[in-house]
Amino acid sequence: MDVIIYGLINSSTLLLMSIGFALAYGVSRLPNFAHGALYILAGYLNWVLLNKIGLSFGVSIVLTIILTAAAGGLMYQLVLIRVRGMPVSEIIASLAIGLAIMEFIRWIGLIGPSFVLPIFAEGVMDIFGVPVDLQRIFILGAGVALVLILWLFTSYTKTGLCLKAIAQDERAALMLGMDSDRAAAAALALGSALIGLAAILIIPLGHIVVTAGYDVLLFALAVCLCGGLGSWSGAAVAAFVIGFAQTITVYYFAPHFSLLVALLAIIAILIAKPSGLFGKQKELEERV
Amino acid sequence: MKKRIFLLAVILMTLWASVVFAQPKTEVAKPIILGFPVPLGFEAGRSNQRGINLAVDEINSAGGVNVGGKKRPFKVNAVDSRDIEPGIPVSDVLLVIEKLILDAKVDFIIAGPARTEASLPTMDLQYKYKVISLNCMSLSPAVGAKVAKDYDKYKYFFSMTNKSNSLIMNDLSPSIQDIGKKFGINKAFIILQDVAHARIGGEIMEKVLKEGGWEIVGREIYPTGTTDFSSGLLKARAAGRSILFLWGEMPEFTILMKQWHDMKIPTLPIGMVVFFSDPGLWKATEGKCAYIMSDSVSAGNVPSKATPWTMKFVEAYKKRWGMEPEFHGTAESYMAPYVLKDAIERAGTLDTENLIKALEQTDLIGVYGRMRFDPKTHVLIYSIDPKEGAVGTVFQWQDGKRVAIYPPSIRMGEVKLPPWMK
Repeated sequence: MDVIIYGLINSSTLLLMSIGFALAYGVSRLPNFAHGALYILAGYLNWVLLNKIGLSFGVSIVLTIILTAAAGGLMYQLVLIRVRGMPVSEIIASLAIGLAIMEFIRWIGLIGPSFVLPIFAEGVMDIFGVPVDLQRIFILGAGVALVLILWLFTSYTKTGLCLKAIAQDERAALMLGMDSDRAAAAALALGSALIGLAAILIIPLGHIVVTAGYDVLLFALAVCLCGGLGSWSGAAVAAFVIGFAQTITVYYFAPHFSLLVALLAIIAILIAKPSGLFGKQKELEERV
Repeated sequence: MKKRIFLLAVILMTLWASVVFAQPKTEVAKPIILGFPVPLGFEAGRSNQRGINLAVDEINSAGGVNVGGKKRPFKVNAVDSRDIEPGIPVSDVLLVIEKLILDAKVDFIIAGPARTEASLPTMDLQYKYKVISLNCMSLSPAVGAKVAKDYDKYKYFFSMTNKSNSLIMNDLSPSIQDIGKKFGINKAFIILQDVAHARIGGEIMEKVLKEGGWEIVGREIYPTGTTDFSSGLLKARAAGRSILFLWGEMPEFTILMKQWHDMKIPTLPIGMVVFFSDPGLWKATEGKCAYIMSDSVSAGNVPSKATPWTMKFVEAYKKRWGMEPEFHGTAESYMAPYVLKDAIERAGTLDTENLIKALEQTDLIGVYGRMRFDPKTHVLIYSIDPKEGAVGTVFQWQDGKRVAIYPPSIRMGEVKLPPWMK
């Protein structure tokens, strides 16, 4: 039962970390290597809004998500739009922005265990004899809710349908009058908002750590490559596959192999099915 | 018009010359430059920097260092060695050290590098350029062993801090044995970070505990970046009342701490976890670090009355920086300039060979006890009695404070068990 419950929680954590990356790539075909940096940026923004500006918990969360979305959108409009269509340049540019954000945060001294975010609810719940802290239950609930909300958004809203259309076939969408650049900016912004939400939910488990940005990027890449780059449902399924694989490894083998599981998953998928579980790419050049 | 401009220029130049050349020439003593290569992007590096800056300011305010009858100030040249960051190659760190020596022309190197993988090759650079260092951060016994193996080549290296085998044998193991006797506990669960020093530390501790009659009920190693320690904690819970031995420096141990507290696991965490020494941890975790024990390596990094100087240092640090001394290396980086000053004044010179001999003869009561170097390894001699050697500190978080528990000679309080363990 421990494995099932913590497997679901860890899968949900991976899903939260990766869905933004999948969404942004699916629409814009732009791999956002600043994804991990935006996670850390969101954490610090929330901390500043709560502790330095003194905003209430709810307001700071909403503002953090909005500001992180704005950061993602701005990053696209100011830098990434100029290299769109050049995959290597996209990776280099987004990675450079990500490194600059993380190093700037480290340089201004926002380091140490004092930089914590408040948890949503204090306490532990016993689920079939397994103690689980309430924050992790929030993470599990958020993961499920996110998948549902994204499905509703992309199925029943105009913006969501537009993003879905561009993800399916950009040229056809262009012919129908959809602005792909604007959609790409919206996707980056939405992806950034989602990673901001992930930061607000996950970071309170410990404290803000700058180097966690690299881990988030690695997990997002592992999940998206396994699920199929550009496939949102694939990312959701892959998150659960990798999450459970890691949890089983931790409980029945050894915890220090858990990171290896994510890396081996990438290798295995690239060998067995390079386009990923639900990916539709056929050309090698389309893959990151 | 042209005449007016010319006249104005002459007047200005005359004024400038009268200011510059009329002032009596004061001779400014050439500073003794202390190179300070530490990972400034990490809390431990910054706290070390606060330590050395406090010491240098105190020494300079008191007139400086007497070098053969002439007073000279210390000057710190701090650079970010980045050696704790993942992915930074040792060669990059060595470039930083070499730049300090060749460009900044430092006279001594203090505190860093932090990582032993970088400290060991730095000793070869020291030999090449004949530069003395007082390392305050590397915990591996390998540094002392290297000096002992080839003294003539590596005599330039001195260590101001304790070593991991000594931390285990003289600090952590006796503390755990005492806790076991006091509370009737004889089981231990071990959780380590997946890095070389933690694995080795864990192996040594496991062996020592087994020899002491303890039952090791589990051992798990977690990679950096882990967000869930439930597997280890649930296994520890199933094993019953025990000690939870921890070793590592990954920030994710705060997640473990919070899970341990929330799940009320009946274990007492004790070990070597850098982050647990942060004075702001209680407030940041809203008290979830209560009862956690850790080794702060040297007295002074946590308040105690090891020597008359210990609390003077703690109070001066608080007054200057608004917080208590934080991590391992802070008290060490504070004492290093004083040890150097003492050696320079006894030698009366900055000549390297004479200074090495003077440092080997160091014998003074510092912040964390009696400071003497082992003549073979050049490592500071540690003891459980501050009158005999430097002392470490195992502390416990109690009621918002870090309370020194071990060694008994500097104890400020007694160990307490979490209420769910009683």
